[in-house]
Amino acid sequence: MSKIKIDTIAALSTPAGRAAISMIRVSGPDTFDILHKVFKTGGKRPFPLHYSAYFGSIVEPETGFVADQVIVNTYLAPKSYTGENLAEISTHGNPVIVSKVLSILFKNGARQAEKGEFTRRAFLNGKMDLIEVEALSQLLYASTNTQARLALNQLDGLPSKFIAKVREELLNQLVQLEASLNFPEDSIESIDESALKNSLQKILSELCVFYENAKNGSLISEGLKIAIVGKPNAGKSSLMNYLLGRDRAIVTDIPGTTRDTLEESLIIDSMPLRLIDTAGIRKAENTIEAIGIERTEKAIDNAFAVLGVFDGSRPSDKEDLAVLEKLKCLDKPVLVIKNKSDLPQQLENDFLSGFNVISVSALKGEGMAKLINSLTDIVKSQGIENLEEMVLLGASQINALDKALTALKRAESGIGNIYQDMLSIDLEEAVRELGRVNGETVDVNTLDMIFERFCIGK
Amino acid sequence: MTQKKHYSVIVIGGGHAGCEAALASARLGADTLLVTMNITTIALMPCNPSIGGPGKGHLVREIGALGGEMAKCIDETCVQMKWLNTSKGPAVRSRRAQADKYLYRQRMINTLFEQENLDVRQGQVTDILVSNNNIEGIKLETGIEFLCERLIITSGTYLNARIILGRESWDGAPQNQKAAIGLSASLEANGIKMRRLQTATPPRVLKSSVDLSILRELPGDIDAGGFTWEDRLRRYEKQISCFLTFTDERSIEAVKRHMSESPLVLANITNEGPKHCPSIDRKLLKFPDMVRHQIFIEPEGWKSQELYLQGLTTGMPPVAQEDIVSSVVGLEKAVILRYGYAIEYDALAPGQFHKTMESRVIKGLYTAGQINGTSGYEEAASQGLIAGINAILSLKGKEPYWPSRTRSYIGVLVDDLSTWSRNEPYRITPGHAEFRLTLRDDSAERRLIEDGYRIGLVSKERYNRVFAWKKRIEEEIESMDNLSLLPSNEAREIMMRTGTGDLKKPASGSELLQRPGMTYKSVIELLHKPIESCLTASDEIYALETDIKYRGYADRENDRIKQTAFLENIRLPFEINDDRIKIIRNESFEIMKTDRYDDLSQMVRMNHFTKSELAVLLSILSGDEPEEFDESEINSK
Repeated sequence: MSKIKIDTIAALSTPAGRAAISMIRVSGPDTFDILHKVFKTGGKRPFPLHYSAYFGSIVEPETGFVADQVIVNTYLAPKSYTGENLAEISTHGNPVIVSKVLSILFKNGARQAEKGEFTRRAFLNGKMDLIEVEALSQLLYASTNTQARLALNQLDGLPSKFIAKVREELLNQLVQLEASLNFPEDSIESIDESALKNSLQKILSELCVFYENAKNGSLISEGLKIAIVGKPNAGKSSLMNYLLGRDRAIVTDIPGTTRDTLEESLIIDSMPLRLIDTAGIRKAENTIEAIGIERTEKAIDNAFAVLGVFDGSRPSDKEDLAVLEKLKCLDKPVLVIKNKSDLPQQLENDFLSGFNVISVSALKGEGMAKLINSLTDIVKSQGIENLEEMVLLGASQINALDKALTALKRAESGIGNIYQDMLSIDLEEAVRELGRVNGETVDVNTLDMIFERFCIGK
Repeated sequence: MTQKKHYSVIVIGGGHAGCEAALASARLGADTLLVTMNITTIALMPCNPSIGGPGKGHLVREIGALGGEMAKCIDETCVQMKWLNTSKGPAVRSRRAQADKYLYRQRMINTLFEQENLDVRQGQVTDILVSNNNIEGIKLETGIEFLCERLIITSGTYLNARIILGRESWDGAPQNQKAAIGLSASLEANGIKMRRLQTATPPRVLKSSVDLSILRELPGDIDAGGFTWEDRLRRYEKQISCFLTFTDERSIEAVKRHMSESPLVLANITNEGPKHCPSIDRKLLKFPDMVRHQIFIEPEGWKSQELYLQGLTTGMPPVAQEDIVSSVVGLEKAVILRYGYAIEYDALAPGQFHKTMESRVIKGLYTAGQINGTSGYEEAASQGLIAGINAILSLKGKEPYWPSRTRSYIGVLVDDLSTWSRNEPYRITPGHAEFRLTLRDDSAERRLIEDGYRIGLVSKERYNRVFAWKKRIEEEIESMDNLSLLPSNEAREIMMRTGTGDLKKPASGSELLQRPGMTYKSVIELLHKPIESCLTASDEIYALETDIKYRGYADRENDRIKQTAFLENIRLPFEINDDRIKIIRNESFEIMKTDRYDDLSQMVRMNHFTKSELAVLLSILSGDEPEEFDESEINSK
């Protein structure tokens, strides 16, 4: 209906600056019209064929000025990254050449692509769904091999397919239900509630596993948070500095120096970790410390695992006891570290009993290898090394998944207790939220599906 | 003959849309003319003898709440009233009436003739008079012209109508009437685009030739109440029944034997028929393995000797119809009085009218009913009412009445219709309404009585009565929220005994009512609420219980309603000057600047925005930072 045309965009797709080769991408309906004007190639092959490479020159049409000798790769819509006609122009990697080629393209009908516009077009043209877009983004920004491998797993589309499958199953149930709701009881059979319940239970259990995998996935992409707690001056900051190999936290002899939580990234055995140095658990003497202590509590809550640090060179006091009590009630992995092993040991022998204690000297580096091994073991024991099953989702996608699960649980437990029209509200919400997980924007028309499947007479 | 008669509003057509349009217009004070090709067949029900059902019944309730006529008319002239879907939940519960077709027509004709400001004339309109894209009047085949300010066309299935029966076909309209020739061409000459649609009706058989004694009887419900608020507690003591039978292998065999004579196979008819009401030949083509199809046998009136065979709709030739009918249990000896037939007619091509029913092409022109691509008496009447209301509002220079899909089924209907581009007639069902817990059948007056009063179709007296009723329910809901029950030994003992669970801490009346098995009656007993301060009418108690019990669902629905209502209020064309708008694809952005749609919610429904685009758009429009909008979704490269 609309006469508005989609325009053609171009941009440098490799990092700016001097390189052996730079690549400029052009995408849109006019891609090849523009190239016909500015790209001169010899040979007998027609230009463009799908998925072909051409050697030639970029020439300014008005002046005949040759900007560069290039290789142009051609992709015809819809079989391209963006789903549109697309060309990749590989030029020599000189910024002057690149900018000349781009300006020739712009003068002949292309427009500078905005940030993310190629991917946006791919998404809009149905070449990628949201899970894949998210994965691509993670892949580009991955800082460890683990993160990159995880992102690559998503790009093969398995998580998308899973969500699409679950959504399809739910949609089937919804259509059955809606058919019964849209027509009077005298013209359509009533639905089998126990079959519906069974089906929802099965879907729920699969989806819960997926949800756990997604949460693990975001652990990996954000880095596993490890909180370091202990009384002031137990050596938390020194421990962190040793692990990071540099002086980040302020280390002094004055207790309470670390007033805020400090966060640092660290890669151990290809696993991204985020170490969070906390302000300690002690009675705050001023507001700033009180804020710090509140943050400590929060850091512990959000952490994947907690390192409890105790000063081995002093007898325990009530602050140590407070830390110990805190560690005892955590339902997450805890590593207990007795620091300052280079000094005479005065901490009571049985004080840390019940925990597997690692004795270290953060200052001298003693026992640190063992600590790192234990950290690695914790990561592995929690089953989050199984990258093949892990799912990468953005925050809004996890949120949608969460909402879908809530609605489904409500529906499942409601069967038999609440009216079917309410059930359908929950099912519809679940279908809608699952659609948001992989970015299906087309609203489903359940009415159409009803008429496809049921012979309605009244 | 030199002086042409002038009316403020002229309505063409006396069907269900035309009647509502003419009555609304006259009742709102405009001198109105209704022109029909045949006064005798005003308010005719050319197909099924029933009004209501899921979705449709909601429309009739809303017509009543807004001050329209259909609800009153069917309440007075029905032979059966039935509750539907009571076990499936409050959102889909609705009424359906079996009509006495003859009484319905007679009562409506009387109402028209008794209406002040309203003239009724018989005649065939062949031309519309248009000047500078403004409607000026009409011309009849007799050569007589009438002038008007506003014109409402409700031509039903009559424009260039063709009846199809097997290989035979002829120009003609329902009940052996004439097709309306000329008007379509005149509309087209004035820039309006037309298309062909089709529908069909089943054969009618002689009552005394059918063996009803062996068939399942389907009686009505005495306490179903009527569609109008005034009739809500009316008891229909005297009713007549419908009957149910089924096709079997023999019937399928008979259809197959004659399939080559089906208009669908002969392809001598447009394929653009109603999906929701397939003919028996279409059912067989689409569901070849299905043998058992329901046939409802419905009376056409108290004294009528005709029975309507719901489910046997077809345009196959008479010999085929004889074979098919006699193959069905109970109908073996049935005498066909009127054969079923298919009918093909002109309707507007999609996208040419606003949801106010006003034309996008010619100013002052309104259309309603089957010409707009709908099917059904209730859908037609709803549009007629909206067209009549808006014709008058625009005459008076007032803002149009934009029914919102968040507040009524009528809103859903006109909103869907103005963007409906499918090749089949539109029929309302609860599936079209996304906020159906809010649009409950029982809440029609609570939602719409103010609109009806403000528009002027609801009198001050009626408004006061309904308002008092509404207030009574709402105040009692409030008191249920505020009263609380302490966990006394007595209360706990009663609750445990009645199986509604222990009471460990104080609970409000509403919280108690939300427990499974609790009713309003049991709650007021527990609370020892003085009986004179309690609701007693069954409809008021039902409204209160439903409101409170499903509050959680209604609240969630409300969140979505807010978004849709917000978007509905942004009328197009619309200009935005904000850099962030660049996130939206150019084509969608350009559509916003045209009047192709009435408002932004329609663009969203027609999938012109991705979720991300919508999130950004909403944030710009509401002046907030983007919410739930993950930049990585689009800016990942």
